[in-house]
Amino acid sequence: MKTARRPAALVAGLVALALAVTGCSASRTPADLTHVISLSPVVPAGMVSGAAAVPSSPGGANNCGDPTASLAPNAPLPTPGQMPANSTMQTIYKRGYLVAGVDQSTYLWGYLNPMTKQLEGFDIDVVHAIAKAIFGDPNRVQFRAITSGQRVGALTGDQTDPQVDVVVRTFTVSCQRVQQGVLFSSVYYNAQERLLVTKDSNVASIDDLGGKRVCAAVGSDSLPRIAAVPSHPIPVAVGDWSDCLVMLQQGQVDAIATDDAILAGMAAQDPNTKVVGPSLAAEPYGIGMRRASPDFVRFVNSVLESFRANGWQQSYQTWLAGRLGPAGPPQATYSD
Amino acid sequence: MPGTVIPRVRASAATTPGRLTLIMAGLSLLAVLTGVVGLTTLQGKASTLDDLVNQREPVNAAAQQIYRALSDADATAASAFLSGAIEPAALRDRYSTDVQQAGIALAVAATDISSGNSEAGLPIAQLSADLPAYTGLIERATANNEQGYPVGSAYLREADNLMRTVLLPAAQKLYDIDTARMSGEQDDAAAFPWVLTVLVVALIAGLVLAQRYLSGRTNRTFNLGLVVASGAALIAVLWTAVGLTMSTIYVNKGEDTGSGVVTVLTNVRSAALQARTDEMLTLVDRGGVDYSTQFDGLANRIGGKDGSGGLLQIAELASDSSTVQPIHTAMTSAQQWFALHDRMTKADNDGDYAAAVQIALGTDPQYKESNAFYQLDDAVAKAVLQGRTNFLDQTATASNWLTILPIGVLVLGLLAAAGCVLGIWQRLREYR
Repeated sequence: MKTARRPAALVAGLVALALAVTGCSASRTPADLTHVISLSPVVPAGMVSGAAAVPSSPGGANNCGDPTASLAPNAPLPTPGQMPANSTMQTIYKRGYLVAGVDQSTYLWGYLNPMTKQLEGFDIDVVHAIAKAIFGDPNRVQFRAITSGQRVGALTGDQTDPQVDVVVRTFTVSCQRVQQGVLFSSVYYNAQERLLVTKDSNVASIDDLGGKRVCAAVGSDSLPRIAAVPSHPIPVAVGDWSDCLVMLQQGQVDAIATDDAILAGMAAQDPNTKVVGPSLAAEPYGIGMRRASPDFVRFVNSVLESFRANGWQQSYQTWLAGRLGPAGPPQATYSD
Repeated sequence: MPGTVIPRVRASAATTPGRLTLIMAGLSLLAVLTGVVGLTTLQGKASTLDDLVNQREPVNAAAQQIYRALSDADATAASAFLSGAIEPAALRDRYSTDVQQAGIALAVAATDISSGNSEAGLPIAQLSADLPAYTGLIERATANNEQGYPVGSAYLREADNLMRTVLLPAAQKLYDIDTARMSGEQDDAAAFPWVLTVLVVALIAGLVLAQRYLSGRTNRTFNLGLVVASGAALIAVLWTAVGLTMSTIYVNKGEDTGSGVVTVLTNVRSAALQARTDEMLTLVDRGGVDYSTQFDGLANRIGGKDGSGGLLQIAELASDSSTVQPIHTAMTSAQQWFALHDRMTKADNDGDYAAAVQIALGTDPQYKESNAFYQLDDAVAKAVLQGRTNFLDQTATASNWLTILPIGVLVLGLLAAAGCVLGIWQRLREYR
């Protein structure tokens, strides 16, 4: 509505102004200078709202058994630098670096620290742990910043997305993704999907958001979940989670629906926001790998076993404990 | 009334004095008409030329400046952002200067609305309305970045989106409108004066025929009045022909060495700035939008495969001795920049993000030509300034050739009319 009215209002305003300036107005009506352009709001690039924001979900996504049960490690971790012959790890070792798909704008998880110009966060720590197990050097990593929507494609050979060895990017283990060709590690973090609203908001749960705009990153699980709520909130999809925070701060959305872990990072960037509501869904985070490399999944699970014992708590304390309270690593479950 | 006029004219045309009266009236009217049409036509051309120099060129330059300043602001904001939490003062200054220049140029461009360019009103209103929104987003991005919050990069991308989808298209629209107006006036100034030519030819032919008629009727070979009239008409023809030819030559010269090359260079400049923004955003927004493909497309548009083709080659072909030097510098700089960009891409693809940032920002001491983009921009700016100077010089010269011509032609036309009246009056008296 706003955009349609815009040119007409503009022309009217300009004509009035031009007439006033040139003084050749026939009637003696003063020019209405309050009659200005009704601006359509500035939005992040690629913002989509309403039904178009929700991907049509492929059917039969829920009968893959327990997707969080991963492949068990079948050997102790090899010495860094001595990867088994013909293994995926050896290919990576020979290349000289691990290619990791990560986030660069999700505070506390994977973000580019403007002070140090380095990627930092809980997920980044996990990537360094894997690199250390392969190379003995945690920094032998090439980070590829990818969006939520690129995570599956980055592992399933879609050439339009950057191809990576691992996706460590607040990646929730789900049947649908398993069926799309992603092989997950064991769960290294259990997040809960909740809502972020401004501190003055009365919203207490997703049911209060009927007809309101709720933001989530494109390709995330939150979008179909928002669309399925009986009160019918309007899903709004953007490229990055940080775009959601921009829209919340600009008053263009009423809430952001995603994992409490990500929301904690947003609340840390904006003290005028709060995390509310009961858990909408459990969001178990796993490391995504290619279906073709189960050996690598077993290796990474072995790395995670040692990370849970030594490293997990340290990273948690550094990034999350201050905002989410004390917690411990989730237990790994294996399918074999 | 007209019903009685025609038979009366017919009746008087039957007698010699009647015919002479008609010839006198016809020729003197034609002479006055030629003088007046000459005055308005040539005065019109002269004022078109003055308008080109005094209004069209400054407004067109302002439109160019708006586009340049805005896209430079966008590229600079991204560079400053990439530089880390503390913005380098030089980049901050460059950004502030750009925003100020855009605002000032916008005010200049807006003066044109009241000079009858109502078409320009819409893009100018859009620019005026959204420029503060853009700077607001940039400040918010900076404020977050200073605190180490990654949401800053999201604000930067939103600002860039506003720039690309609203501000730059409006600036382009304004530039297109102003350029079309300018070249329209150039065409008007150089157009052939058909009406005036027809009148002058008719006047001279009439004078020749009248003299032949008179010398046949009387035993005098020459009629002083008509000779003076013919002389005045001939002088008017020669003066107008020389004045207009020279003026047109200079108008065309102003287009060839000035506005023509400036138009191509402006395209080079906007493509270069867009590419620079893409280069920076590739590093700011890693993995999101594919800015790197956009860069490659723009680089190809600017300099073809090796930096000396594309728009730069067109600019080289359009240049003259005064502008070719900076255009060659621009070509060299484009080659260096694109080579540097390849190294940056390689460093980024190899996972050496810090090195990629250093190369992009030109802070890597390894590469002497690290300022290649700025050198390209400076060289193009120099060539644009030279082109504008050429345009103004040539168009002002074109205007000088028409300085007293309009009045001159009017005076000569009146003189010719007077010659006709006096010359034929003398003969008419002989019939009384």
